[in-house]
Amino acid sequence: MADFMTSTHKTKWIYTPQDIKHKYKVANQRAKQALEMFGTTRMEVDIDGTFSYAESQNDAKDNAEKRPKPLKVEEEQLLRAFYEFKIQDVCDAFKFPRKIQATALIYFKRFYLLWSVMEHHPKDIMLTCIYAACKAEENHVSAEELGKGIGQDHHVILNNEMLVFQSLGFDLIAYAPYRALEGFISDLEEFCGAQDDNQLVALKGALDTARIEADKIMRSDGPLLFPPGQLALAALHRANAAHGIFDFEKYLRSVLSHHDQPVHAISELTGSINAIDSLIGKLLTPTSKDVKHIDRKLKSCLDPGSHDKSKKRKHRSKDSSNEVTDIS
Amino acid sequence: MSEVEKLLGMNRKAADRYLKREVLGEGTYGVVYKAIDTKSGQVVAIKKIRLGKQKEGVNFTALREIKLLKELKDPSVIELIECFPHKGNLHLVFEFMETDLEAVIRDRNIFLSPADIKSYIQMTLKGLAFCHKKWVLHRDMKPNNLLIGPDGQLKLADFGLARIFGSPDRRFTHQVFARWYRAPELLFGAKQYGPGVDVWAAACIFAELLLRRPFLQGNSDIDQLGKIFAAFGTPKPSQWHDMVYLPDYVEYQCVPGQPFKTLFPTATDDCLDLLSKMFTYDPKARISAQQALEHRYFSSGPPPTEPALLPRPPPKREPGNPKVSDLNPHDGPVVLSPPRKSRRVMPHREGFEANVHPEKMDDHENEIRQAAGEKSEQVPMSLDFSVFGMKPPTRPTINSADRSHLKRKLDLEFQPEEE
Repeated sequence: MADFMTSTHKTKWIYTPQDIKHKYKVANQRAKQALEMFGTTRMEVDIDGTFSYAESQNDAKDNAEKRPKPLKVEEEQLLRAFYEFKIQDVCDAFKFPRKIQATALIYFKRFYLLWSVMEHHPKDIMLTCIYAACKAEENHVSAEELGKGIGQDHHVILNNEMLVFQSLGFDLIAYAPYRALEGFISDLEEFCGAQDDNQLVALKGALDTARIEADKIMRSDGPLLFPPGQLALAALHRANAAHGIFDFEKYLRSVLSHHDQPVHAISELTGSINAIDSLIGKLLTPTSKDVKHIDRKLKSCLDPGSHDKSKKRKHRSKDSSNEVTDIS
Repeated sequence: MSEVEKLLGMNRKAADRYLKREVLGEGTYGVVYKAIDTKSGQVVAIKKIRLGKQKEGVNFTALREIKLLKELKDPSVIELIECFPHKGNLHLVFEFMETDLEAVIRDRNIFLSPADIKSYIQMTLKGLAFCHKKWVLHRDMKPNNLLIGPDGQLKLADFGLARIFGSPDRRFTHQVFARWYRAPELLFGAKQYGPGVDVWAAACIFAELLLRRPFLQGNSDIDQLGKIFAAFGTPKPSQWHDMVYLPDYVEYQCVPGQPFKTLFPTATDDCLDLLSKMFTYDPKARISAQQALEHRYFSSGPPPTEPALLPRPPPKREPGNPKVSDLNPHDGPVVLSPPRKSRRVMPHREGFEANVHPEKMDDHENEIRQAAGEKSEQVPMSLDFSVFGMKPPTRPTINSADRSHLKRKLDLEFQPEEE
């Protein structure tokens, strides 16, 4: 894999928790304003990447009482968490490698640093991010195949593709913790002086657990806050806490001693590991029941006329927002 | 709110920012224009790729190029300044390059001194060493993908076939590079290969600079290997142990090859030593781009010419006269590299097994790209296989499913621009 130190990932896509919080708030505010101005938060997106707010055809924009209620920042977060879990679900169903799953998740997270879920339905973006990740990771799956596999209209994917690429600033190489994890484990074989099979089996077990921990980390804000190597260390730390194979701090010191001038102090690394640990502690895994009412709210924001049976308009967002529970 | 507003206004603004000038040529996947950046006054080249007509969304080759060039920032690699969609097209804005190495090699009015050759090959190797350090294989090294800037700096361009390497056991297609620049392991069907393939191609370019004609001009993959062996001798197992295990390995009649001094009579001993190390059969033993740069050829005299002082062809393009016109030079018969699209698909074992291959995604569209050249290059059917003591390989036809797939892809890839 290309060089992380000079990557767009490192230089442009690692934030502070404050940055992220601010971005979520800004996106939420903007969607609220759109709701007041246009009576809807929905954006029309075209295949060539053009987009604009849809003009609602009902009187919601002029009538504050009829206007749908916007989502709160926390509700947006819950909905994103739901779809991030779905990304892993869908990728597992297709047996995609973890690398693709991670890239899709990173795309999805970066996308919603810019946009509110009220502007672009997270289900559409989820599918598009998976499609784009397959493309970028040279594991091409046709949009049709992907859509068919999960019973979704693949035109949604193609329509949103350019918007997603643009929102990502065309920075398509994203780094996941899995590769680093494998590196640490093979390094640990030497560190532990693993000679007998038992130790190797134990390390193999730790790797499997660490991968599952890394899967969780990938759904947290971690990938937007920390470099992949630190995410991997945090996953390893958790796995070792469960298996108790080696002295983690001693290993950390040995890793740092490989470098003449370590980039990080050990305190800095343990700080990151603890921070990532607490992110996993706070990780939300909402069920479709948990997000049902949010999805209903989202539906009316995206398409305020949708309850009105007399106005039968066909909208992508309308079709899709009904089906939150259908994708499994 | 600035970011989305920027995004909202960006495409329109970006499009207004560039003042479109003449067509520079037809790229692999779109028209290339010269343009002026009205903000900085800088001259740029804009590749325009049509959107929305393809069944598979944004063009794969373009995306690969964008993806890698965003990460590869170096004076030895073409700069992708920005990309933006506008009016149904994706625009890739590159720094403007005046000419390319093929035009230099071909120009009979240009004399290349040993110092000039050293400079050109040094810049080529610097670009490669940089890419390899960043774990990127170029996979399409040839003189006309080595562009030369107004300051004489040579840069690697066209990353449409490039790939990240380094994952263990990852398999790639061997249908990469224009044939004359293809390493022997690729010609024998290797699917796991590394930066050595780019070094072999660089060696071919090095040879081409010395000879002023493409060095090994095979007219089929089999013939290409024959040409390689005729020059350097059939590899012995001691030279290249793994050769016999390669997927498409066939036994060739033993030929002795010629001394490097005979092949390149004008070259110095240092030059020949480096060439022989770059033309090493066994990719594991082949010199790396970085090691090549540290070879004494570059430290011994004469020093490489300063890029700005290198001989270059006069500005070649008249407004509205695309690069295509260069293919008919008036100064006598010259041999040209095969145009990039004229690579040929060998449906049996080479291209279409991708359909069932575990890593089926790899570069399928490249084979398509290559297939597009069928029209310009007749497949030689009358090859003499008797010298190899073997029957000609059967050449199965492409089945109809593949054909319609191909057809569709071709229509999409090469649809005319609507301007």
